[in-house]
This record gives sequence, C-alpha cells and structure tokens, in this order.
Amino acid sequence: GQSDRSPSSLGDRKVVLLPCRSAPSREKVQVWLQARKQFQHLQQERHFT
Amino acid sequence: MATLTRQDLNFGQVVADILCEFLEVAIHLILYVREVYPSGIFQKRKKYNVPVQMSCHPELNQYIQDTLHCVKPLIEKNEAEKVVVVIMDKEHHPVERFVFEISQPPLLSISSDTLLSHVEQLLRAVILKISVCDAVLDNNPPGCTFTVLVYTREAATRNMEKIQVIKDFPWIVADEQEVHMQGSRLIPLKTMTSDIVKMQLYVEERAQKAS
Repeated sequence: GQSDRSPSSLGDRKVVLLPCRSAPSREKVQVWLQARKQFQHLQQERHFT
Repeated sequence: MATLTRQDLNFGQVVADILCEFLEVAIHLILYVREVYPSGIFQKRKKYNVPVQMSCHPELNQYIQDTLHCVKPLIEKNEAEKVVVVIMDKEHHPVERFVFEISQPPLLSISSDTLLSHVEQLLRAVILKISVCDAVLDNNPPGCTFTVLVYTREAATRNMEKIQVIKDFPWIVADEQEVHMQGSRLIPLKTMTSDIVKMQLYVEERAQKAS
C-alpha cells in the first residue's frame, strides 16, 4: 500500500524515490497546443480585419 | 590556492543551484529530443551559450520545477547519488533511463578566478551531447511518458519532507518495475569533472522497445 512506500521511516539503506504525481500526458499537452494554435489564429484574423 | 570545506560560502547551496538549473535545461531537452511531447510546445532558447529547446507548456514546466525543488535539498547536502529521467511506454515500463550520476568533493580547492568559470563550459558539453543523443538511440514507441527518480539514502529523505509539504508534491519509494529495465544496453554520453562537481551521464536503453 501507499503507506508502506512512504520514505519517512528512517534507516540508512539506499532508496529510490519518485514523485507521486504524474507529468501531464501527451494527449493533454496536445489538446492545449491545438487550443493555443486556434487562439493565435483567431488573434491574427482579428488583427487583419 | 585556498581550500574550503562544504560549509564555507554556502558551497552546497551554490552547487545545488547550478545543478538544478542544469537539470531543468537537460530535462526539457531530453523530452524534446526523445519526442515525449509534441515539438510545437518547445521554443528555442539560449542556455550555456548554446541553443536549447524549452517547453512553454505551463503545467509541464511547473511539474519539472516542483520536481527539482524537491531534489534540491538532497543535492545541497550531497545526498543525491543519481538523478534519473525515465521514459516509460504506455504500460509504464521504462524504455530509456537518462542517468545523471553526481558526486561532489568534500573539499574545494579554488584559485580566486576559477571557481565557476570552467563549470559552464563543461555543462555546455553535456547539453550538446544530449541534443544529439537521438543518433545513437532507437525510436521510442508512441504514447511514452516520463518521470524522475532520485537515488539517495533513507535517512536523507528527511531533508525533502518540508519542501514536499510546501509544494504539495509528495514523493514515494519506487517499485522494482519502475526502477529496473530488463535487457538494457548502456550508452555513455559524457563525463565532466570540475572543482565543485563531478557528473557522469549515460543512457540505459531497453533492447526491445516495442511492447
């Protein structure tokens, strides 16, 4: 369980740690990128009209 | 030539600042070169006097910053043996591990004008090696993600506890499957030796990347 993996029980053996949270997924980043491109495109259109 | 201990001049803090700034650049570049994220989120910047690719995705940037903020107290106390950027396939099995092996000398020998001047030059060489590492690595399968591992000692994790709470960014002990890769080959990328830090960078690549 999660509590067994807590790094707070202190000894001096070697341990490997990693963040609980995951990095944003590629899909999530891709959606953000598409939205950003659309926003920039709209801004450009507005600028020229 | 003066000899200083780690306690002088906040030596550990200076090294941690330098290394964390370097690791931030290195992580962004690895994610770009290994195509973990779409290339459209990366912008060209100049670091260590060479062009590098840095993400402009706010959540990803924050994630990398939070990760390194938590690692920093370990580096400051010379308690981070390795920092590893792991690229994982869709099943969360490692396909590549970029291993930064760090060691710091207990004593620092400096002359008045050479404390940091050489370090930037050495870090630049490491960055340049990362930027061309795709030439010696196989393509990764689609849908990869990444995480960062820190190799330390259990007692040293006390130094991370405060920052984990402040940043609301908790860490746990990694599972065996998150750490080990079966049938991997090792590709040395660069070794640097300076007055304040020694670092070895190599990649462990899984032999069969297609899952």
